[in-house]
Amino acid sequence: MSFPAEIFAQALNGLSYGVLLFLLSVGLTLIFGMLDVVNLAHGSLYMLGAYAGLTIIAFAGSFWLALLVAPLAVGLIGMLIERSCLRPLYRRGALDQVLLTFGLIYLFEDLVKWIWGGRIRSIPPPELFSGSVTIWQATVPSYRLFVIAFGLVMAVLLWLVIERTRLGAIIRAGVFDAEMTAGMGIDIDRVFTMVFGFGAALAGLSGVIAGPIQSAQPPMGATILVPALIVVVVGGLGSLKGSLAGSLIIGQAETFGKAWLPSASMLMIYVVMAAVVVLRPQGLFGRPLR
Amino acid sequence: MGISDEEETIMAQLTRRTLLTTGSLAAAGALAGPWVRRAHAQGAPLKVGLVLPYTGVYAVLGESITQGMELVFARENWTVAGRKIEMIKEDDEMKPPVGIRKTEKLIDSDRVDILTGPVHSGILMGMRDKVHGSKTILIVSNAGADAISRDRCSKWIFRTSFSNWQPNQPMGGWVAKNVAKDVFITAPNYQAGKDQLDAFKETFVPAGGKIVGEDYPKLGETDYAPYLTKIRQSGAKAVYAFFSGTDAVNFVKQFDQFGLKATVKLTGAGFLTEPDVLPAQGKSALGVITGHFYTPLLDNPTNQRFVKDFREKFAGKMPDGFACQGYDTAEVILRALKAVNGNTQDKDKLVDVIAKVEFDSPRGRFRFDPKTHNVIQPFIYIREVKETPLGLNNVPIDKVADVRDPGTGCTLPA
Amino acid sequence: MAGAALLAAVTAFPLFAGNYPVKLLQEILIWGIFAMSLDLLMGYAGMVSFGHSAFFGVGGYVAALLLAKSPGLFTGLVVPAAASALVALVIGLFSTRVSGVYFIMLTLAFSQMFYAITFQASWLGAEDGIVGVPRPSPLGLDLGPPMRFHLYLVILVALAALALARVVRSPFGHVLRGIHDNEGRMEAVGYAVARYKLIAFVVAGTIAGLSGALYVQLVGSITPDAFLWTTSGEALLMVIIGGTGTLGGAVLGAAAFILLQSLVSSYTERWMLILGLTFILFVLFAPGGIVGALRGRVGLRA
Repeated sequence: MSFPAEIFAQALNGLSYGVLLFLLSVGLTLIFGMLDVVNLAHGSLYMLGAYAGLTIIAFAGSFWLALLVAPLAVGLIGMLIERSCLRPLYRRGALDQVLLTFGLIYLFEDLVKWIWGGRIRSIPPPELFSGSVTIWQATVPSYRLFVIAFGLVMAVLLWLVIERTRLGAIIRAGVFDAEMTAGMGIDIDRVFTMVFGFGAALAGLSGVIAGPIQSAQPPMGATILVPALIVVVVGGLGSLKGSLAGSLIIGQAETFGKAWLPSASMLMIYVVMAAVVVLRPQGLFGRPLR
Repeated sequence: MGISDEEETIMAQLTRRTLLTTGSLAAAGALAGPWVRRAHAQGAPLKVGLVLPYTGVYAVLGESITQGMELVFARENWTVAGRKIEMIKEDDEMKPPVGIRKTEKLIDSDRVDILTGPVHSGILMGMRDKVHGSKTILIVSNAGADAISRDRCSKWIFRTSFSNWQPNQPMGGWVAKNVAKDVFITAPNYQAGKDQLDAFKETFVPAGGKIVGEDYPKLGETDYAPYLTKIRQSGAKAVYAFFSGTDAVNFVKQFDQFGLKATVKLTGAGFLTEPDVLPAQGKSALGVITGHFYTPLLDNPTNQRFVKDFREKFAGKMPDGFACQGYDTAEVILRALKAVNGNTQDKDKLVDVIAKVEFDSPRGRFRFDPKTHNVIQPFIYIREVKETPLGLNNVPIDKVADVRDPGTGCTLPA
Repeated sequence: MAGAALLAAVTAFPLFAGNYPVKLLQEILIWGIFAMSLDLLMGYAGMVSFGHSAFFGVGGYVAALLLAKSPGLFTGLVVPAAASALVALVIGLFSTRVSGVYFIMLTLAFSQMFYAITFQASWLGAEDGIVGVPRPSPLGLDLGPPMRFHLYLVILVALAALALARVVRSPFGHVLRGIHDNEGRMEAVGYAVARYKLIAFVVAGTIAGLSGALYVQLVGSITPDAFLWTTSGEALLMVIIGGTGTLGGAVLGAAAFILLQSLVSSYTERWMLILGLTFILFVLFAPGGIVGALRGRVGLRA
């Protein structure tokens, strides 16, 4: 492989990895930005999406059905969590939310293990995308190309919803000033629940999408959390643009780091984040620190 | 007026008699005590402690090992040499602080007669001194840290599983002769991973093999794409990989998804395709060649019975190398205890007897190397993943006999 | 009063309890001090750190490396504490410039970097860490006998706790609480807020390093796991369960967490479910932690 072809191949790898990170973190940044909630259970919701997807495929045989239904199921679970456990804690501050969501991590890990067993599970890619494709000397699984396309389309859709719809306007207003928004007669409680559910659904969706590439196991909720948090911080809390930019950049940094500086691969993501926080604390597109 | 002199004398006599009787009984009891206690100990339950992960990423291993042990003990009706066998399971969560704490509990509080486990080499290294210092017999049922059979060996520690060196060293020469001479090697970036690859190199390079590339992704990597691109670039004809658990699933799946199987043969240490990861790997694992001391398809009579009994007892689950380790651990305990008639008070004798245990295990003829107390692998089987009537399985295609760890730096008795 | 009685009970514990319960108590004391130092940051200065394990690990590793060479109080306690102080100074210089979730993530990043470095460094034992660490011999005394080590540990833990209590009650402590309440106001009044935060960070880090060194002396080994963000997370849980901003609560929280983790898991495989539910119920119904509950703050609306 020639050097430019090698760069192209790795860049393509970095792109698919970055898009996965985007799908993983966008729900978290919305919840952070809008509700100011430290949702450590985000990884668990991702895991529930993967397992729900598994079950739907096992029963109905269709990846596409799983892609549609699993996020809805996880979204519902998210709304339930918000109504029952989180709402009493809004007034109480970040620490209590940390303890609660930490408890949810333990709870979900054991529940998943109880229901599905502790074995490693895997989601097969859909028939349509189960082969590989060669572009300019780089052989890529066609599924990864699908992930890239899907992720970018999701990004555009989300942007449209948030910037161009009434719901989006309410969300943006709520992110900016929840009290004022409530004061304008909007049932802010219901909006919070819906946004949390929406963020949860996005987490569940990313669980299904990542399924064919990664494997699923009950402890995965805690493992996936830190990369998600890092992307959110680098991109800027509550910023859709930031989530996309942050994940794409981290995706490339991680990938080229693995290719050229392998011994630093454990450190890479933390160094990038530390640099961003020190040099530009609000992240790439976040609001200047409040 | 009080009591009369007569009454007083009678009372005094009664009191004296009571005192004397009680005193003599007490003295007799004290003298007879040790005998009585020893006879009692013969009937006292045999406590076997298990320090294993029952939660976390390696819980499936803890479960398999435990099931292997339960199969054997159940067969003997949970009795050996007139003593009831009591298994005390402690979850070490794969965390050294917890593992060490649980070890202390089993040794100090439960006073186990024999300790077994762990899965995590870090926990094994952390418990080693406590075990050695308290003269507790430990039978390592998984952790492969080479050091336990080398510079940190102990007369109280035996290992029925494997040393990291054992499954890899024979593979080097075999791969060079039968697969390819241009090989890319890879393992997670930690000492155990590097040790496994070093063992491979030991026989690979002298057999004419050439390492055309070497990469150490981080432990727990989920995206191997950049490494797979490098593998393709290197022009290697084969890959030798050590990965286990979710790493093994992700690597093998992605290796296949990137279309590498068409031009590069994937080989590795047995853990790459063990039954804990094979179902999740599915067809991606077809054709992968690995080295391991066990596969459920071995055709010796002990194994055939083992597989049948195991599947019957555990709802059709296929036993794996870990279950075999558990089976062998329990067999060692049973045979040693029978040989000393259940006497666990004389620990030196028990250790001698354990060291000499020999029996037919599902993996072949089982015996310990007296030099290191590590198991001598009767064979390291070279296996290929194929479709069988029982689903995807590791089919033995070749074998290397009598693989024993070099044990450099181990001087027993220590 | 109650405090003295508790101290006496803790000191005399080995006299009437077996090895394992004593070990549990000793671990509770060590993790308790670790959590207490975190409470200084969280409960008093309002800085929620997810990187506190960095100092625990540094203290532990430095002690492990030095004790192997020469087992004394200097190598076993002083140098590890000093090393942790230095590391806290460097990390603090960067971290105290930001706050909130950024502070959380930056501190987390630093401790994870330590994890990555120790995990891959073969001279530090790589993933298996350092084992076979001897106990120090203060003034020539051998700390092998259990009661002697127990006394040594109790004395040190008590001193550390007293030190933290003094800091909290001192004028410095009051300034910290003022900063927690309203940073802007303190700045306006003329306090060098950043410097106060940094000093608090270093004090907390030093005590955390001390607890790491004590842990290595108790157990004889240390692994990179000590640096994991989950270790910091567990300390966080101990503080919250015990009652943030109460100092003593941290030890109660450590006791609750360790006992739950060790005892429940000996009885059931579903211990994670139980632990998770316990945390959730705790948050919802006992918002002040154990100390708060003892003081009567119980209920959903408390």
